[in-house]
Amino acid sequence: MKTLPFILLTLACAMSLNAQHLHNGDNTLSAGKVNSEHSIYHLDAQWTDHQGDTYSLRNFSGEPVIVVMFYGNCTQVCPILIKDAWQLYSSIEKSIRDSVNVLAVTFDTKNDTPEVLRDYAEYEQLNIPNWHFMTSESANVRSLAMMLGVQYTKKSDGHFAHTNLVTVLDKQGRIAKRIEGLNQPMEKTAEEIKSIMANGMQQ
Amino acid sequence: MKFLTNIAPAQTLTMVAFVMTFGLPSTAEAQPERVLVPSGSFHSVMPEVKGEPIAVNSFYMDITAVTNEQFAEFVAENKQWQRSEVPAIFANKDYLAHWPGSSPDIESLGGNRPVTHVSWFAANAYCQWVGGRLPTLNEWEYSAQLMDFESQQEARQFTARLMSWYSNVDTKNSAAVGSTGIETIHGVKDQFGLIMEWVQDFKPPVADNLSLDCGTVGRMQRLGNTYSYAASIRYITRMSYIPTSTTATMGFRCAYDATQKMETENPAQ
Repeated sequence: MKTLPFILLTLACAMSLNAQHLHNGDNTLSAGKVNSEHSIYHLDAQWTDHQGDTYSLRNFSGEPVIVVMFYGNCTQVCPILIKDAWQLYSSIEKSIRDSVNVLAVTFDTKNDTPEVLRDYAEYEQLNIPNWHFMTSESANVRSLAMMLGVQYTKKSDGHFAHTNLVTVLDKQGRIAKRIEGLNQPMEKTAEEIKSIMANGMQQ
Repeated sequence: MKFLTNIAPAQTLTMVAFVMTFGLPSTAEAQPERVLVPSGSFHSVMPEVKGEPIAVNSFYMDITAVTNEQFAEFVAENKQWQRSEVPAIFANKDYLAHWPGSSPDIESLGGNRPVTHVSWFAANAYCQWVGGRLPTLNEWEYSAQLMDFESQQEARQFTARLMSWYSNVDTKNSAAVGSTGIETIHGVKDQFGLIMEWVQDFKPPVADNLSLDCGTVGRMQRLGNTYSYAASIRYITRMSYIPTSTTATMGFRCAYDATQKMETENPAQ
């Protein structure tokens, strides 16, 4: 272990690491690897949604959950990302849709207060049941992003470069499905959510 | 004169190192002293913003890395971060592997040794617990290059030492924090020469035409000195980590928003 940095350097050379790239010179970072064996509900943190209600992620266990990370001042990519989450949500069969929660978590903990998030939800016409536009302490947001494999970095102009990722959690809070990139087809994932629902003891 | 770093000398030399200690909140006895790192800019070795310096706002940073003793206090108060309790999603098996049980054996480890075998999640939780956060990658690198040398020769000797250290980190016998004699102009100690350190966003965005292969170091912007080669090694090493990594070389220190500290310092509040 004495020459660790150089060993790692060599490893980095030998392996094709899952790097995060800036695509097309814009602000998109690709998703990192994740651990899908364990529940992200281990993250013991308090979250506040756009209604001012506080939650721990664990409160959403027992049902499938759709998670998307975004920020309010992002006017180009994020509305598409939020629309993608809506696309997925609305593709889920009506009878089970009410059991699925959508968590839209902001990177921008400084600007996106619950009030700002409520305006955002209203503007996007998503101030509806089961949708939670959430914020927390920045360390918690960073931890959640690490668990989901969402890369983000704040730029000097106040905007964020970030991964565009929609994640589906199973009933135990484990990562069941990841959809990376914008405008991806959602029908198949909607079917998978249905089977998560049907599979009571999904293990 | 500055020989190694690439920040405008006039800018850094007029900066005044500004050391403060704080009345500590009750949960934060483990908090070491910290210093203000005033705002400025630096050239990263990362190639995506060629020629454009990265601006960094003022922030506070711990003078030294977090020690085993300090981390033990955190673990004692937060049982979920004990080795036997920590969920696998937060740390690899080697988490705190150098502790015989739920606390370190200071007699055999030596006092004031930097804690290692801690995952990013554990480091992040610790900093949150003391009311701070992990420094961002840019903050850490910006601070690290705020060094000043008496002469070109001293600068050269330092880079030689730095390279030798990066190629030969002794994980079995780490020295006490603050003991390396390496200090920035603002009083931040041991950013080199002791351990590698976690930062908040340890995988920086890489331009699309780069991949993390052998050529990456070569393609990283050369700042015309050995120092930037050492920095490239740090970037590459960090990219090879995952947030649950718990190696014998990796520890951390915490940072704090400058605005946040101004509030706590005001006795009127």
